[in-house]
Amino acid sequence: MYCGIDLGSRNVKITLARNNGITALHSYNTIEFYKKYGRKEGDCLTVDFSGLGLPQLDLGPGGTDKLVTTGYGRNTIKIKGGKDIPEIKAHVLGAAWQTGLKDFTLLDLGGQDSKVVLVRDGKISDFQTNDKCAAGSGRYLENMCAVLGMNLEDLSGCRHNPVDLNATCAIFGESELVGKIIEGYPVEELAAGVNYTIYRRVKPLLLHLASRVLVFTGGVAKSAALGEILRDELGAEVVIPRYPQYNGSIGCCVHAGLE
Amino acid sequence: MARIGITTTVPIEIIYAAGHIPVDLNNIFITDANPHGLIEEAELAGYPRNICAWIKGIYTTVLKNRDITRVIAVTQGDCSNTHALMETLHLEGVEIIPFAYPYNRDRDILRLQMEKLAEFFEVDRQKVSKTKKRLDRIRSLVRRIDEQTWQSNRVRGFDNHLWQVSCSDFNGDPEGFGREAARFLDSLEEAGEIDAPVRLGYIGVPPIMTDLYDYLESRGAKVVFNEIQRQFTMPFDTEDIVEQYALYTYPYDIFHRLNDISEEIGRRDIHGIIHYAQSFCYRQIQDLIIRRKLAVPILTIEGDRPLHLDARTRMRIDTFVEMLK
Repeated sequence: MYCGIDLGSRNVKITLARNNGITALHSYNTIEFYKKYGRKEGDCLTVDFSGLGLPQLDLGPGGTDKLVTTGYGRNTIKIKGGKDIPEIKAHVLGAAWQTGLKDFTLLDLGGQDSKVVLVRDGKISDFQTNDKCAAGSGRYLENMCAVLGMNLEDLSGCRHNPVDLNATCAIFGESELVGKIIEGYPVEELAAGVNYTIYRRVKPLLLHLASRVLVFTGGVAKSAALGEILRDELGAEVVIPRYPQYNGSIGCCVHAGLE
Repeated sequence: MARIGITTTVPIEIIYAAGHIPVDLNNIFITDANPHGLIEEAELAGYPRNICAWIKGIYTTVLKNRDITRVIAVTQGDCSNTHALMETLHLEGVEIIPFAYPYNRDRDILRLQMEKLAEFFEVDRQKVSKTKKRLDRIRSLVRRIDEQTWQSNRVRGFDNHLWQVSCSDFNGDPEGFGREAARFLDSLEEAGEIDAPVRLGYIGVPPIMTDLYDYLESRGAKVVFNEIQRQFTMPFDTEDIVEQYALYTYPYDIFHRLNDISEEIGRRDIHGIIHYAQSFCYRQIQDLIIRRKLAVPILTIEGDRPLHLDARTRMRIDTFVEMLK
């Protein structure tokens, strides 16, 4: 069995797979995962797989299972018995496996990250990421939903008549949104404005590393509005894989040997 | 014999010829036991949060080292933040000695600048010329360390950085520094080969995060070219001191730097470039020129505060090295 773990900033995603395909997908709140199911042993983190309701992995010498990990935590946390791979590599492997494509631009919008990767012949050709600021990430969308009193699903349905939002900071963006609410804009137009803010954030990266096909992954890829905005504004074919938020952990399984 | 503060490379031949000791304030700041504290003190004095940490660190370093009563200010060829740094130091009673690199490397203007500096320190041309020969002997040892870095694969990227960056002032003791460099060269015969197949070039000002080189090597990549640090060793075959500081690329335009970088990329068989830019530095803008002009893959990284790489930069380095493998 192949086990891929993506230690994200908001959620830990686990994919289990065999060579006939994916057998299970699990997601856990990151803080809860480390508090309840992780135990530090020396430099490594031991994961309580049975506590998570997952089968125990046979990772010893000659073992039949393989564990590969990635994610925001990989710089500080190595899971015992696992091999860790760079985050962007995991996402590229996952996207190529899920879509069957070899030449594309990958846009991954996760909890705190924005990553854009140019993929040619299945390999990383160039990449850019957000750096000091997490505006335009999943966490930003969650905060904006809270201000608007909407859930993420409702937000993802709004794309028409976007209200112009200019603040470049995720926190100042909240107060700007409050100001617009006071001005009396309909909540749907404000939500569309929020979605366009995300697009404007990643637009320079996407234009710099453009392809005919854009593969969109990460939790934010579940936003239908954003997918449409990307398609219309860039004039590119936007492909959202079946499991956008599990893409990194699927990529880990691919690295482990999943065909 | 006085300690003269410098904020970037200046003709230190003149300072040594006058019997004084140049002190590169960047080195004192970054090797302080608590560089963060020095930055914080500058912020408490009123330096803005969004200003280069080097400038803030140097400000407090000068104020804490009261024996440094004179600082050479490079008024052209460095950044405008340096101007305000000098003004705030002047406010605290520090004597400021101006020096300017002419934008178009006009040899006559540069000669005049050097003559004025020599006049200030009351040294004649013969003394300066003799000091150049004295320092060039030591520089040639460090040039050998640099050659060993890319030719023999026995010198770590950090050691290459440290030996070369120290040539801005030779740690205040050129002969002592030269003896240490000779010992280091001897020790290389027994040093093991460094196992890092990816060959990188590092361009831009020296990094504020000192763990960069070790981290790169842990990922399988070695820096075989430190651009600006190498410039500090004055790697030019010229007897003429004015010509030497005209060939020195750092204070002039980006295009001369790019010629030097391109040449070294070919000579040293470099697979990729790390372009470092300090947070809030005007040199960040030059990244777009660098990306247009260099033919190898480039990773741009930004550093703000001292000592350690942040998790995001490590993630980006991992991917870059993986991409080059």
